[in-house]
Amino acid sequence: MDIDDILAEVTADAVPQETCDLQELTRAWVTERVAPEILPYPDALMERVLERIRKQIELVEDQTGNMDPKTNFKLIVIQTELERFKFLVRSFLRARIAKLDKHPLHIFESHTNDPTLLSPSEHQYLTQHQALLSQHYHSSFLSQFPDALQRLDDTTGGMSMIDKPDEDTAVFCRVLREVGVVSVEGTDRVFEMKRGDVWVVRWSAIRQRVLLGDIELI
Amino acid sequence: MYGELGNKLVQHAKRTQSLTHLPPYQTEMVRAVTREVRDLDKDVAAILEPFAGSFNPSTEPATACALLVNHLCMRRDKRCLLAYHRVRSDKLEEMCWNGIDVLERQQQQQQQQSKAGGEGATSMGAEGNTSSLSPEEEEYVRQYSDLLAAYKGQWTDIDLTGSLEPPKDLFIDVRVLKDAGEIQTEYGAITLTKNSQFYVRQGDVERLIAQGYLQRLT
Repeated sequence: MDIDDILAEVTADAVPQETCDLQELTRAWVTERVAPEILPYPDALMERVLERIRKQIELVEDQTGNMDPKTNFKLIVIQTELERFKFLVRSFLRARIAKLDKHPLHIFESHTNDPTLLSPSEHQYLTQHQALLSQHYHSSFLSQFPDALQRLDDTTGGMSMIDKPDEDTAVFCRVLREVGVVSVEGTDRVFEMKRGDVWVVRWSAIRQRVLLGDIELI
Repeated sequence: MYGELGNKLVQHAKRTQSLTHLPPYQTEMVRAVTREVRDLDKDVAAILEPFAGSFNPSTEPATACALLVNHLCMRRDKRCLLAYHRVRSDKLEEMCWNGIDVLERQQQQQQQQSKAGGEGATSMGAEGNTSSLSPEEEEYVRQYSDLLAAYKGQWTDIDLTGSLEPPKDLFIDVRVLKDAGEIQTEYGAITLTKNSQFYVRQGDVERLIAQGYLQRLT
C-alpha cells in the first residue's frame, strides 16, 4: 500500500453516496456501451438511482406553480439534472437491449449459468422476444421445412447457429488500481499495467479486472 | 435450384438495410425457396432409399458427394430465409422503438393506393392486397409492440423510447410544422398552431418532434 492508495481511501470516504452513484452509473454506462458482451445488471445501484429520480420528480411536481423566482430557478437546475440522469439510465438500458437483440440465444445461455446477468424484466423481454421471433419464423416458412432443419439453435455440421459476441475485440481502458502483470491469452504478450495507464487491449484479457473495478473502459 | 433464389432473397435483404421504408414482402420467392428445400429433402430421401439405412460414404463417394451438396444447399437456403426475415423484423422493431405505428401507416398506404387505382382503372381487383408486410409480419409487429409497451411500462419515469441524444438544454426552440392542438405543460397550456414558434421544455415536446409535428431549431 503506498500513499496513493491511502489518499484514495480518504477521498472515497469523504464523497457522499450520491456522487459515488453518479460516478458508478456513468462508469456502468460507458462500460456497457464499449464492452462487446453484456455485463451483470447493477441491481442495487439502479434501485438507488431510480428511487432518487422518483423523489426528484415528485419534488418537481410539488413545487411547480410556485412563482417565486428563487424556487423557480432551483427547479430548473433540478430538472436539468433530472433530464441528464434520465438520459444516462435510458441510454444504459437501451445499450443492454440492443445487445439482447443481437445475441439472444448466447445471452440466454449465459444467463442460465449466471442469473445475476440480467434483471428480471430484461430476462422476461429476452424470452418473450425470442419466442415471438421463432414463432414468426415458424409461421413464415420454417414449419414447412423437414423436421431435422427446423431448429434455430442447431450446432451440428461444424457450424453453430448461435451467434456470439467477439470477446477478443480491442477496447480502450484506464487502470484505476495497480493490477500488476497481465498476459494476453493466445499470444506471448505480457505487460505491466500501472495505475493511471491507458491501454488498448483485448477485452477478454482484462474482462475480470473490469468486473472487479480495477480497470475502467473509456 | 441449389441456392440461386436464396441468394436473390439475401440481395433483397441487403437492399432493405439501406432503405428507410420496408419494400414489399417477397411472398413468391420465400415460397419458392421453401419448396426448393422440400424438393432437396425428397431427393436426399430418394437417394438414400435403395441403401435401406446401411449407407457407407467411403464405398460410394459419388453418392456421398451428391448428398453433401444437397444437405449444404438446404442449410444455405435456411440461412438465407432466416437472414431475410431477420432483417425485416429488425426494421419493424426499429420502427416500433421510434414510435411509428407501422400498421396504421400500412393501412394509409393501402387506402392511397386503392384510391389511385380506382381513379385509373376499375379492373385492378387483382391487386387486392398491396401491403408490404406479410400477414405473419403484421402479427409480429402487433405482438412486439405489446411486448415493448410492457417492458417500457416498468420504466415510466425514464421514458425508454425518448431521445438518445444527451440533453444539453432544458428548454429548446421549436417551430410548429403541423397543427398539433393544445398541449399541457407545467407553465400552462400552449396552443400549437402551424408556423408559430415556441421556447418550451424539451421533455414536454419530445414526442411531437418525433412524430413530425414540431421542428427543433438550433
